[in-house]
Amino acid sequence: MNSAPIVALTGNPNAGKSSLFNALTGARQKIANYPGVTVERKAGMAALADGRMVKLIDLPGTYSLDPSSPDEQVTRDVILGRQAGEARPDALVVVVDAANLENHLCFALELIDLGLPTIVALNMLDLAERDGLMLDPAKLSADLGVPVVSTVAVRKRGLDDLLEAVDAATRAAQTPSAQPDLVAPQLHSSDANVRRRARDIAKAAIISETPVRRWTQRFDAIFLHPVAGLTILLGLMFLMFQAVYAWSEAPIGWIEDGFAAAQTWVAGNMPAGFLQDLIIEGALGGVGSVIVFLPQILILFLFILLLESTGYMTRAAFLMDGLMSKVGLSGRGFIPLLSSFACAVPGIMATRAIPDPKDRLTTILIAPLMTCSARLPVYTLIIGAFIPARPVGGTIIGLQGFVLFCLYIAGIVGALLVALVLRRTLAKGNNTGFMMEMPRYQWPRMADVLLALWQRAWLFLRRAGTIIFATTVALWLLLSYPKAPEGADVSQVEYSVAGRIASGIEVVVAPIGFNHDIALALIPAMAAREVAVSAMATANAIEVGDDEEALAQSLGERLQSKWSLATALAFLAWFIFAPQCVSTIAITRRETNGWKWPMFMVGYLFALAYIAAGITYWTAISFGLG
Amino acid sequence: MTIRLDQVPLGHAFRITRVHWDILSNEEGRRLREFGLDEGVTVTPAHRGSIFSRDPLALTIGRMQVIIRAGQAAAIEVVPAT
Repeated sequence: MNSAPIVALTGNPNAGKSSLFNALTGARQKIANYPGVTVERKAGMAALADGRMVKLIDLPGTYSLDPSSPDEQVTRDVILGRQAGEARPDALVVVVDAANLENHLCFALELIDLGLPTIVALNMLDLAERDGLMLDPAKLSADLGVPVVSTVAVRKRGLDDLLEAVDAATRAAQTPSAQPDLVAPQLHSSDANVRRRARDIAKAAIISETPVRRWTQRFDAIFLHPVAGLTILLGLMFLMFQAVYAWSEAPIGWIEDGFAAAQTWVAGNMPAGFLQDLIIEGALGGVGSVIVFLPQILILFLFILLLESTGYMTRAAFLMDGLMSKVGLSGRGFIPLLSSFACAVPGIMATRAIPDPKDRLTTILIAPLMTCSARLPVYTLIIGAFIPARPVGGTIIGLQGFVLFCLYIAGIVGALLVALVLRRTLAKGNNTGFMMEMPRYQWPRMADVLLALWQRAWLFLRRAGTIIFATTVALWLLLSYPKAPEGADVSQVEYSVAGRIASGIEVVVAPIGFNHDIALALIPAMAAREVAVSAMATANAIEVGDDEEALAQSLGERLQSKWSLATALAFLAWFIFAPQCVSTIAITRRETNGWKWPMFMVGYLFALAYIAAGITYWTAISFGLG
Repeated sequence: MTIRLDQVPLGHAFRITRVHWDILSNEEGRRLREFGLDEGVTVTPAHRGSIFSRDPLALTIGRMQVIIRAGQAAAIEVVPAT
């Protein structure tokens, strides 16, 4: 004795479980993964009135303990004490949506039947009352035979009462005789008898009700309208991508200024030499060129989190399902794929919500084709250098923006074609389709959104601080050594280890128009696509040395003087497909539990990249753009 | 007279008379029951797809709204609720 008692939070999806968990634990959360499976484990501590701590575990939202999806399997194993590395909970808090009692009580009955000390949190009572539903928690408690506490997680109401009930339940659990032997659930939430009982209990607890959810119906008449709804969705996506560029301009400037100031400071306060070069050219230059994307990623995630927490995302999935089913996907894949425009890593993680394994696998395999924010530095550099800033033939649409738009579209079209092929070959199978509950509209709780945003930002910064930092420093070393002999007729970059490796790669990529610069950038860009830019910048800085005229030129201008237009276009086409991101490969391995699918993904994407770059190069050459 | 749920007009209440569980997978059948879609229950089809297709179908069951595909709705026989 005596570690903190463990209390598991369970309940149906959309019961407001995560908000309740956040309200109880605040920011004291630890997010990890259950070993061997792809289910997120969220745990946090909450303090009881007497200062005793309890450990809360937020289990994934499920409808039953039937192990049909990874989420449900974990929920079942944790509650039954079979999950490795997780002690059996001492008590359960079953979160039910007050406005959806009849349905949520089915799972609650299944859980109560297990015999663990259980408390029912009657959540979102305010929304139920808004919709004209009056409930009697005391009657519900009497019928269920367990304590029922009314809560409004987003307004932090009822939390003290809930913790008091948890206190009592965990005290009861301390006596050994109160520990039942859990073998397997006896009741099933989809069983007709359980459903009938749930219906009767729910009916008895309702004091009065008006028939419908008025607000939700009014909004849905607009947002789910076959034409207007789709127009609004496209408008929202347009606004989102505009904001990603427009709102990020200023913060990107601050970050760039910050890194430039740091470089100047190091140059002025450190003795010149190896360490100074390493910090300025390698560490600050390399990591800085990646951190500048933080504002764009955060803006995109802010939109996605807001759309999710208001309940709109399910509507978007509903609208897109018809289109996505034509290539064998489901509307559920829309959210992961949309997230992949920010970064494929959270996108692939979000595929966990897709219950059909083949559908999920296909979505994972095409997620890297969505133009993620890491491609932007590559695209903007090359477009800025090679595509003239003039309107497209007599219109007001800028040619540069148009090319960028085409690159996004090429990725989406490529993804749809690959999905079509995969669903007919490797990931063949019936589409179990798209079955989900439509949540009510809700005003998002800003604290929850900001917490999630912070967790994403931290994930990104940690990546920048580890993988990207390490690869830029390693590349800097490989580019700087061995030192070219004084007065030799060969540049430092050519003479270095990296330069020699690049010459080998150049043989392979020369047929698609790639030169030595690109061959050199491709290796470190395996770590992350944006490293291609920092690699070219680092190589350029070393190559230029103290040549003042060359120093005055930007990287874009340097490339413009060295590359043909055909090469530049082929380079753009390459990056639509090339799977150059260690994090994506690693997350695919984790999410598919093995090396088979990530290897397949890398192979098919490189093949497509090579073909696309080749076609682009030779087409451009035949038009005389060489 | 019975009709299939995928063929009824939107905005009207229907009572489920029969579900052909045999043409649904186990997973689909279980999910439908978890949503409360079972024989004897009254549902109201509320929304259907977008301009791209008639899929999926949003149903109101009690105070809840769920989404299913037309293929699954085709396994559900209904009569107009009175």
